[in-house]
Amino acid sequence: MRQTVFGLQVVMLIGLYLFLYAPIFYIIYVSFQTNNIWPFPPDFSLHHYQSLLGLRDFHAALFNSVIIGGATAVLSALFATMAAIGVLRYRTRWRATVAGLYLAPLFIAHILIGIASLIFNKSVLGLPGNLGSAVIANATYATAFAFLIVLAQLARYDWRLDEAAMVFGASPVGTFREVTLPLIWPSVLGAAIVSFLMAFNNLEVTFYQVGATPTLPTLAWGELRHGISEELYALTSLINGAVFLLLAMLYGLLRSGVLRVEYRD
Amino acid sequence: MIGPVAKTLLLALPGLSFLVVFLFMPLVSIVIFSFWRTESYELIADWNIDNYATLFSDVTYLTFLVRSLVMATAVTLTSLLYAWPVAYLIAKHGGRYRLVLILLTAAPFLTGEILRVTALQQILGPIGLINMALGHFGLAPIRALMYSNVASWIGLTYLWMPFMVLAIYLSLLNFDFQLMEVAKVNGARVWRAFFEVAWPLNMAGTVIGCVLVFIPTLGSSLTSQFLGGPNGALYGNILAHQFGATGTWAFGSAMGVLLFAVSLAVTLVLARAVRDFRRAGITIKEG
Repeated sequence: MRQTVFGLQVVMLIGLYLFLYAPIFYIIYVSFQTNNIWPFPPDFSLHHYQSLLGLRDFHAALFNSVIIGGATAVLSALFATMAAIGVLRYRTRWRATVAGLYLAPLFIAHILIGIASLIFNKSVLGLPGNLGSAVIANATYATAFAFLIVLAQLARYDWRLDEAAMVFGASPVGTFREVTLPLIWPSVLGAAIVSFLMAFNNLEVTFYQVGATPTLPTLAWGELRHGISEELYALTSLINGAVFLLLAMLYGLLRSGVLRVEYRD
Repeated sequence: MIGPVAKTLLLALPGLSFLVVFLFMPLVSIVIFSFWRTESYELIADWNIDNYATLFSDVTYLTFLVRSLVMATAVTLTSLLYAWPVAYLIAKHGGRYRLVLILLTAAPFLTGEILRVTALQQILGPIGLINMALGHFGLAPIRALMYSNVASWIGLTYLWMPFMVLAIYLSLLNFDFQLMEVAKVNGARVWRAFFEVAWPLNMAGTVIGCVLVFIPTLGSSLTSQFLGGPNGALYGNILAHQFGATGTWAFGSAMGVLLFAVSLAVTLVLARAVRDFRRAGITIKEG
């Protein structure tokens, strides 16, 4: 009985990975083929990538997406790190409320964030839709994810290190720069990377903010309405590849100890 | 010197003000605008409840809402049934590979909805891998995979199940698996031990997972737009439409408010299943 249950669980785990990764690996495979529909036997070609480079707006879209991702990452990581320190270091009765408010965006559908920001920016603040408003709208839910990541990582941080530094005369800012930040920055970087990727690839929130300004997801959305175009094979593969490379690098650095996270257990 | 309360609030203040101004206030504003009307793409402050009257009297909108509710329930249940055994396996037997195994389930999420739907279309659609392969071997194509609610269901499960696995896994990290052995030593069979020990003690993780899958699915529009076909439109598609071609923002606001209210109601009902979050597996470790 026990063996059967364990075996079934292993099969289900392998099944989940197949389900999650088969579409991704297949589209990467197709992106290097001449025939999109039945690419067997393989006939390698780079023409999908050539048409992506020739796509109008591709460079502008890539640039805009990097800006949205980068600015969102900086904002979210900053807000999240400050709040996580506030919640974990000073154990006041406000901490549950603060944590609840920071996590609330996780429970709001993206389409609501998208339309509410659109209406509010235009009708109340009088702001036009542009990259700036896209950054702001993406930073709402990204802050929640970043907060969750930093909070989980910092839960094991030993705040006595900071107290020790203060006892020896370090200022609060000095303590943060010399003691806290060097120890916690891998978590902050992790939160920033996740925020970057979410904002970079977001469509449902960004779409309502940017108007006619192209981003990679809005470009992909426009293409996909006419079926998967040649460029889309290359774009999907490139972004999937970049995401996994980034995550693998982060993981490798953490594993090898180049980025060492030292907490008291 | 300022006290610890002031320090917590001071550190939380920048992010909180940001969230209040750019998330909570916009959400309140759509409640207000839902009682206005739209005229040639402009919001007019002419207070009325016509938007809600239309929303609740026109069967069309309620049909889409019910369809989305059914879809969200189906996707949540599928994810729940599949995620529990998987999360349990990783948490209990993952050992030093636990982190890699769980990150592998979460990583595809970061490539974003539109690209994941694109990759799925290459598998499920009429010229997708599955039906092309069937055709190649002389078999009939599976119609359910091409532009249908079944395809949307598969797509939404594909998109959001990682959240369920992650939530249950995080809850199981704080679960003492020896309790299961204690139950078995005392004569409980595997399933009874599971339903009387592991399940109730990890109720919070389960509920958070369910909410994290249910809410985005209820409001989803992209998956059904590209996989659902002509009869696959969901509430999110009709909502998005109000902000596209028709430009009926006030009515769209009312649809948004209804979506938010339903999401909140479902969250509250599910949260009642967890009376005490601390006993149900959620602990913030004392540092």
